[in-house]
Amino acid sequence: MFTVETGSGFWNPIIWVIVIVVTFLLIYILRSLGKKGYKKDTEQIKSFLSGNPEYPKEKMHIKASNLYWGFTTNLKGLYTLLRKMHTGNTSDYVLWFVIILAIFLVIEVV
Amino acid sequence: MDILGLSETVLRLIIGTIVVALFGIIFGLLYKGIDRKISAHMQGRIGPPIRQPFRDVRKLFTKENIVPENAIPWIFNLVPLLGLVATISILIYLPIGGFSPIMSWGGDLILILYLLMFPSLAMVIGGFSSGSPYAIVGAQREMATMIAYEFPLAIIIISIAWKLTQMGSENVFALSTIAGTPVWNNVTGPLGFIGFAILLLALVIVTPAELSKIPFDSPEAETEIAGGLLVEYSGRNLAMFYLTDGVKTVVMASIIVVLFFPYNLSALPLLGLEGGSYVAYAIDIFFYLLKVFLVILFSVTLIRVAIARLKIDQIVYTYWVPLTLLSLVGLIFIMWDGWIMNLLGLL
Repeated sequence: MFTVETGSGFWNPIIWVIVIVVTFLLIYILRSLGKKGYKKDTEQIKSFLSGNPEYPKEKMHIKASNLYWGFTTNLKGLYTLLRKMHTGNTSDYVLWFVIILAIFLVIEVV
Repeated sequence: MDILGLSETVLRLIIGTIVVALFGIIFGLLYKGIDRKISAHMQGRIGPPIRQPFRDVRKLFTKENIVPENAIPWIFNLVPLLGLVATISILIYLPIGGFSPIMSWGGDLILILYLLMFPSLAMVIGGFSSGSPYAIVGAQREMATMIAYEFPLAIIIISIAWKLTQMGSENVFALSTIAGTPVWNNVTGPLGFIGFAILLLALVIVTPAELSKIPFDSPEAETEIAGGLLVEYSGRNLAMFYLTDGVKTVVMASIIVVLFFPYNLSALPLLGLEGGSYVAYAIDIFFYLLKVFLVILFSVTLIRVAIARLKIDQIVYTYWVPLTLLSLVGLIFIMWDGWIMNLLGLL
């Protein structure tokens, strides 16, 4: 009943929702056993910065592009090559499209 | 399905959910304690008592639940709860010991892979909502780690499903199908065996990243970014993440057990046990807990004691280059398994 089947996979969202609701209630009760309050008007609510001063937010902003640092650093060779290919010229991109399509066709024929 | 059958299913589901939730939390904390004790002994320390994680949770519940001024309070408070809830929900789909999954027709391995992302995403969202630079750096690292390890993990799952398809199985992503046809029984020659052994090794290396354990714990990195995405969490919110970590450890180990070691002791003719008897269930549960312990020992404890923390670019490299290539080699070995045997005239 209500099971979604994709041909190779399946899942029943109703079952999952029931499980989530029951577990949520259980964990909510468990969580409510913990202490609730804290001292709102004290130093407690300041961010922990290892003793460093807190600068204005725009100066402490961490760029979203930092997320990719791990990838761009260790795959530098690949990214250098890709940047060279990324010319901004539409005809270059169409050429790449045609080349890749030709390779696929050759593979398909072979 | 009639009303009586439906209400029975719902009741079974509710009771089953409560039982697996308690099971996951209790054994998650217990395995955490064992892991800490063994790793301490490996490092020449006495270590905390095995019940220490239970004490930690109890103590966290008595501590103040501080919400920083820069945080978005409702997200900050909600995501630790959601992370634990989603992690517990995975246990519903996994066979435990001699017991079939509570809802084997409710979802398959692909669903489990998606649900496994929830706790990591909860930590990422919690980190971003903290409003702390350390937490944001940690959250970004967690996202990069997730992107990195999903690649080899997908190859491992696809390889197993592909082999089952070749064997003529239906519903190849169903846990009951995978547990019912252990991968080692499907190989036709040494190449297939080596291929699955390589995939097992790859999955063992993926596990510490899934669990944010050393050497893949740069999102938390206490000595560098002071706990990263958890830096602003305290009290009962931190306790939720602590419990999530324990339950997720049991979940990951159970997935490895289902994929690679789904055998039950009660099926051995030597023991002469009647299938479905209490003794058979008890032996299978004990054997399952032992298998989970051994998986945690090799994939969490040994690795985190033996290797120092990697930088985030090293983590990405580890998963995208050597481990992805290793998984692909495993897949190729499995594909060539029957073909080579045919070629040599051994089949």
